[in-house]
Parts: sequence; C-alpha cells; structure tokens
Amino acid sequence: MLAISPDITRKERIMKRMILLLICCLWFVPQASSAQQVPVEETKSKAEKIAWHGTWKGGLAEAKRTGKPIMLVSAAPQCHSVPGVW
Amino acid sequence: MDRSFLADKDVISASRKFVCIRLATYENAEENEVLKGFFARGGNLENTVFTLLTPDGKTKLVTAGRSPVWAFGGVRGPGINTQPKEPIKKMGQTMEAIALAYPGKGKAVQGLSPLPYLADLRLALNVSAADRQPLVVVYSENVKQRKKMEKELSKVAWSEQFIGRAQYVPASDASEFKSVKSLKATSGFVVVQPGTFGLTGEIIEVIDASTSSAKLAGLLTKALGKHKPSQLTYDQHRRAGSQAGARWKSATPNTDGLNHRGGSRRPRR
Repeated sequence: MLAISPDITRKERIMKRMILLLICCLWFVPQASSAQQVPVEETKSKAEKIAWHGTWKGGLAEAKRTGKPIMLVSAAPQCHSVPGVW
Repeated sequence: MDRSFLADKDVISASRKFVCIRLATYENAEENEVLKGFFARGGNLENTVFTLLTPDGKTKLVTAGRSPVWAFGGVRGPGINTQPKEPIKKMGQTMEAIALAYPGKGKAVQGLSPLPYLADLRLALNVSAADRQPLVVVYSENVKQRKKMEKELSKVAWSEQFIGRAQYVPASDASEFKSVKSLKATSGFVVVQPGTFGLTGEIIEVIDASTSSAKLAGLLTKALGKHKPSQLTYDQHRRAGSQAGARWKSATPNTDGLNHRGGSRRPRR
C-alpha cells in the first residue's frame, strides 16, 4: 500500500496537469483562430502610419523649408502587374 | 518593400522628425533619375529604393539599397515581411540620432506645411488602395479657390488626429475623375473609397469647398470613418487581381532584375 501510494499521487498529478493543459488549449485555440481570421492589413490600416509626400519635388521643397532630414522610399504600386499593393 | 520596418511604432515616431518621401517607382522619368542617383546597380533602377538623406536631398546618411535591411541589417530576400527586432530597433535609433543632428528650423519655419500630395488621381487611387486608406481629392477648377482649400485642409491633415491617415491629391478638371463613379459636384473636398485594386473609386462624401478648417476636422472624421479597407491578405490580393484581370502599366519601363544572372524578374524586397 505504502509502495503504491506515491505512484498514484504521481499519476494523479500527471492527470491534473493534462486536464489543465486541455482546458488551456480549449480556451486558447478559439481565441487564436479568431485572431488569425482578422487580416493583418486590416489591423494595420487603423494604426498610426508614416505620412508620405508623394512627389520628390514636393517633399524636397518641404525638407528645405523645414531643415528636416529626408526618409526616401520608392516602390512600384503593383506586384506582377496587379495594382493596389506595394 | 519589407513592411515590418516602416510599420514599427518607434520608426513611425522618429519619422515625424523627418520629411518622408515615398515615390512610385517607374511612374515619373525625372524621379527615376533622382532615385538612380542614390541606388542603381549597373545603372538600372530597381523596384524598391530606401535611404535617409540630408535636408538638401544631396547626401546619403545611411547605405542606400532596396530596403532598410541594406542599412540596418536583417533578412534579405523575396516575400520577406518580418524581421528580427534588432535591425528595426537600430533603424529607429539611427533616425532619432539623425534627427538630433538635423533638428530642423523649428519655430523659424514660416507658413504651413503643404499637403502631402500624390502626382495625379490615377496614381493616387492605386497608392490609396495599396495603403488601404481613403483618398481626399482637393477639387476645384478655380486655382484661387483650390489654394484656399489647401490651406484649410493642411491645418487639419498634419494634426495629430489625421497625420498619416489618408492620401491627398489635387484635381482641377472633371475629366480627371473618369475612374471615380458618379461625381456631381463641381468643387469640394472629395473623399474617395479606392477600389480593391486601385483602378476605380467610389465617392464616400463631398465636403463643401468653402468649409473652414474648424468644421473640416469633424466632417472629415465622419467621412474617413466610412472608408472600408480591403480585407484581402497580400497573396489573396495578388490572386484575386490576376483572376479579375486587374493590370497596371507603369509610365516608364520596369528595369527591375536586369542586373541579375538568370534573368529572373521576380520582384525582390
């Protein structure tokens, strides 16, 4: 009896841990999958973004006027000729 | 272009101390030459360019390249849109350090910042769709009226509430709206919902041209709030665009990939 007792306790502990893990999984999985369903771009669209000048002439004039340094980026607004994407 | 650098909150915060210029590659011959002056392997303009410059636009302050990775490290290659934290952090810190070295003229600056205009309505629809943002068209055939409208809108556009939340473009003729459905007004702040692929647009609201900046803020908040960004992921967008036959022809030849062996023309970021 004394020899069996610690083993049962160990099994109980393992069972408890497994149940706890299962509960965590059941709680977490729907949360995670619903988060994955929200497109990344949608969440970003309402976040703060960089304010871009869209022409070199306009941006350079503003940099000279304010004395601020320039961050220059260029990209084609298409991918494999499909527009509406950087 | 890797979007993880430019979406970082510290980089965005540092960007407020810079004048940020984003050009559309292959859409303007003069701008192509400017870009080639900063980065063009083998003399060919590549799809994407990134650098930081002095206020006169003449001197590079970091290594120019296809993306911030060239200056700050990180992972290079096609389709990469996530980076380790360290290079992104380095970009924010470098920008802050540059901003200290070039603090600008501060209160000595005269007048208002001009609106961050795009070149024309056709390109503006495309860029707005790519950024998943609404487009505000400052529309009047009368130059004097348009200047007044720009002044009022500028007070609003650079405020904390609106900065970086919309795209802007001027229009002086009704014919410029050929891709935008059912415009009846002859002037006004025309708030447009770009189509998914940026080839068309629908009017969200037309705000009267005589509206003052004080009233404009409230009206614009309402109008911009009606904008519905595309829900498609990057790959879904590409697939849907191909299936729908949505095509974009750049104004000048695409020279990306001409330097690479094997002739692969797949866009790289």
